[in-house]
Formats: sequence, C-alpha cells, structure tokens
Amino acid sequence: MLFLQLLVDGLQLGALYALMAVGFAMIFGSTRVFHYAHGTTYVIVGYLFYYLAERLHLPWWAAGAAAAAAGVVFGVLLDRWMYRPIQRDEGSFFTVFVASFGIAVVAENVIIILFGASFVSISTPLTRVSDIGGGIVVSYLGMFSVLAAALLFVFLNWFLDRTDVGVALRALSENPDLVRGFGLNPRKLSQYAFAIGSLLVAPAALVATCVTGLTPTAGHRVVLISIAASIIGGIGSLRGAGLGGLILGLAESLAVWKLSTGWSEAVAFIILFAFILARPSGLFGNRARV
Amino acid sequence: MVGYILNLLILISISGILAGSLNFIIGYAGIYSLAHAAFFGIAAYTGALIALHVSTSLLIAIPVAMAICAILSLVISLPSLRVRGEYFVVASLGLQMIAFTVFSEWTSVTGGLGGITGVPVATIFGFSLRSLGSMLAVSLACLALVTFAIFALVRTSFGRNLRAIRDNEVAAAAFGKNVALTKTLAVAISSALCAVAGVLYAFHVSFVNPESFTIDASVLVMAMIIIGGTGTVFGPILGALIIHLLPAGLTYLTFLPSRDLASLQQIIYGAAMVLLMIYRPSGLIGRANVKDTWSK
Repeated sequence: MLFLQLLVDGLQLGALYALMAVGFAMIFGSTRVFHYAHGTTYVIVGYLFYYLAERLHLPWWAAGAAAAAAGVVFGVLLDRWMYRPIQRDEGSFFTVFVASFGIAVVAENVIIILFGASFVSISTPLTRVSDIGGGIVVSYLGMFSVLAAALLFVFLNWFLDRTDVGVALRALSENPDLVRGFGLNPRKLSQYAFAIGSLLVAPAALVATCVTGLTPTAGHRVVLISIAASIIGGIGSLRGAGLGGLILGLAESLAVWKLSTGWSEAVAFIILFAFILARPSGLFGNRARV
Repeated sequence: MVGYILNLLILISISGILAGSLNFIIGYAGIYSLAHAAFFGIAAYTGALIALHVSTSLLIAIPVAMAICAILSLVISLPSLRVRGEYFVVASLGLQMIAFTVFSEWTSVTGGLGGITGVPVATIFGFSLRSLGSMLAVSLACLALVTFAIFALVRTSFGRNLRAIRDNEVAAAAFGKNVALTKTLAVAISSALCAVAGVLYAFHVSFVNPESFTIDASVLVMAMIIIGGTGTVFGPILGALIIHLLPAGLTYLTFLPSRDLASLQQIIYGAAMVLLMIYRPSGLIGRANVKDTWSK
C-alpha cells in the first residue's frame, strides 16, 4: 500500500519535474544557451505568487497568472539584455554560463533581503487530500499538476508541429545557419524559446510553493533536476526531457520506501551518473551529438 | 586590531589556495566545476578527524587529505569527462548538493549539522602553531607552494596539453593527445591542491560544520577567479584579496543594514560576474584579447 501511495506521489512530483525539464530543454535545445537562471525564473514566479496571494490577498488565479507572466518577462528580458550582448562577441558556452550563474546569485540574494532566507509557503484548502479508494490519497493540487503537465505538453506538441514559429524553432535547434539562410532571424526566434521555456516552469513553481514551500536557494535544485532530466532523456529531445523528469520524480518518491528522506535527493544524482556512465546520449538522444 | 588583520590575511591565503586550484582547471583546462566547496569540505573534515584521532601534524593531515580528495574527484571526473563539458558542470553541481547531504546526515562521522568542534592546534615538525603569526607564516608558505606548483605545472608539456584541449579539444585529440586522461588528471591535481586549503581552514577556525561548504562557497571561489582573471597566475590571488576586503570595507558603510550585508556581498559578486562576462570576459588582469582566452 505504501508502494502504491509513493507511486502516486512520484507521478505528481514527476509531472512538476517534467515541466521544469522541458522548459530548460526547450531553451537549451534551440538557443544553445546554458540557462542556469532557469531556476531563478522558478524562484521569482514562486515568490511573486506568494507575495500576491498571501500578503496582498489577491485571488489565487490572478496571483498565479501575474506571477507566470512575470516569469515569462524575466526570461525574455534576460535573453535580450544579457545573453544577446554576450553572444554578439562570439561568447563561448562558458561565458554565457558564468553570466547566467551570476544572475542567479544576484536574484537569490535580492529575494533573501526582501523575504528572508527561511522558507515560505501558501496555505490553501487545495492541498487537503482526498481518498481515491484503497487508502491512497491525492490532493487537488496533485491532480492539477499532472493535468497541467499533460495539457501543456499537448499544446507544445501542437505548437512545434503545426505553427510556423514552432517549425522554425525546431529548425533552429537542428541547423541555425540554414535558418538564417532562409531569411529568418534566430535572435527573434530565441525570444519565443525563452518565453515558452519560462512559461513551462511557472506551473511547477506555483504548485510547489503551495505543496512543499519555497526557499530562495531552490533554484539550484531546479537546474540540477532540469539538466539531469535533459541528459537522461537525451539532450535536444523535449519528449526525452519530459520522460526524464517523470523518471526522476518517481525515483525520488520511491526511494523513501527503502531509505530515510534525507537521502532522497541523492537518488536523482545516482540515476544521472548511471546514465552518464552507461548511455551519455540519453534515452532519445542523437548519438552523434555527444 | 592586529589579531583581526592577521586573521583576515590567513583567510585570504586559504582562499588564494582555493582560487588558485580552481583556476587550474577553469583557466587552463576549460573545465568548469561547481564542486570546489565540496572538496574543500571533504579536506576540512578529513583534517579535523585526523587531528582529533591520529596526529595534529600538518605533514600528516595535508598529504592524507590531498590523496582522499584526488581519489574522490575521480568519482565524478571518470564518467563525466569522457563526454562534453556541460556534463561535468552538471555532475559537479550534483556532487556539491550531495556533499552537503552527506556532511549533515552522516552524523556518526561528521557530527551532523553541529559539525566537529575542538580541533586541536596544528603542529609542524613538532612546533605548535598556537600564535596567529605562525599560522599566517604557514598559510602564506602553502599559498606560495601551491601557486608555484601551478605556475610550474602549466609550463610543462602537461600544461601545454591542457591549454590545447581548452582551446580546441578536437584538434588536441587529432594530435594524439589523450583528452579524457589529461582532463581527469587535471581535476585530480586541482582537488588535491584544494585539500591544502581545507586542512588549513579546519585547523585555523578549529571547528568544521556543513554551513561552510555549501554551493555559496563554490560561488565565492568561482567569483574570485572570474573577477581576478582566469588563466593567470596572480588573478586568483587578486580575486581572493578583493572578495575578502569587500565585506571588511562594507562594514564601514554604516548606513547599510548589517543584517543584509552577506546578501549584499553576494549581489555584488553576482553582478560583477554578469558585467565582466558582458564587457571583459578575461577578468581584471586577464589578457585583453578576449578571443585568445575564451573562444573555443
């Protein structure tokens, strides 16, 4: 029975991880920017949601929408004001990484000054659990996260398959020079990638703020999970990143079955290592890319 | 006041060793590690445990800690350096997160969140380093030795191989260099040199707890070398100097709320990293020609 409960919990956690990871993979895949500040987007959305809903007592849907919008704006502005000037001078992968890391450090500490270093959470009736039969309990928020992940992935599939921008974004990840040759502007396209990538991480931040609470340093973990999931799924594959996130969530939850909770974080790391050792190209990765 | 300055100078020397050893892989080999604080911590715990249970001699604690750190570094470098640079960043970030878990959860050895207290005074050749002056002398000597070791290493054929790999990995491999082996060795050497700082730190502050070895400490060391200048001999030391004098300077600005000083410092480092990457990626005393150092 404990096993089934952990499986259900793992699915909910995995849905959140999948959202973070697909957002990261979207940005990394099409722009090759190692977006360490992806975790910062998550933290900003979470704290803004907390501020609007818990301190200003806005209705939760308005607070959530405003916070998600702020996350998208943050992602796009970073691309425009930070990554673009660096890449103009042929900035290497690591130059971009260091700058992104710097932004993460700045944002983390601004939040510590504004809200304090200890963790915050939102109390909502939605986290109350209900029995779905056989003594297995699920909260409304848990169902919401699975549903939100499923809906967003259907939308993303449609967007990448059917719209011009989506097709252009996929082309950008395959061959940026060819995209330029067709008269499309990679700079403009990268903004879409950042907008969508940041939008995907927003629901994960909103749910996690209610369920587990939020600390200013949560961003590092989000990045670790996102990159680990991208590597497990295969860099460049959005489906892979989603599946990788799901695997990590399930594994972390099921680990509690045998280990004490303090060690559950280590599980993601061990799975990542197993993949780097045995199959560095990941589940759906292109072997030639590695 | 003299005690305060001596203490600050000791910490700057220790940070100089840390920054120098990280610069060895970031600046010369192009390998980005976020786990430097983890190795620093492993060495500090090793030093503290040896001092409590075996011997207080630095000549025993430092070599043992160096060996342990070098061997542990293989755990992340062997699998992840076979593949692209991004993988090592991720693996080291993972190690840094897991190290904190181990430091705080493995209570029978590390003492949990409380850490290990009452580390005895260090000795060297039977002399006790009780006074701050003698500790400073030893720290400065270690800093000089580590800096010289790195200075000498990058001038050997091994150092040239490293820079070749940093500048163009494919070309280096085409010239018959064993890329994976060279990188793995570089990380092991860097971790071993970092261990010197860890042991000195454990003896100097006479207690170790997980708080000192979080990702924030890794950030700090990285900020030192990026501000000072990667791939230069004295850049890391200049960075260590700046980063330690900044908080000392900030405390004189009395209008700043003291509660937020630590965060303000981190904001300054973070902003410096961003601005330097946009306007001067080679750091304060790095080569002016950016493309030499940073383009792949």
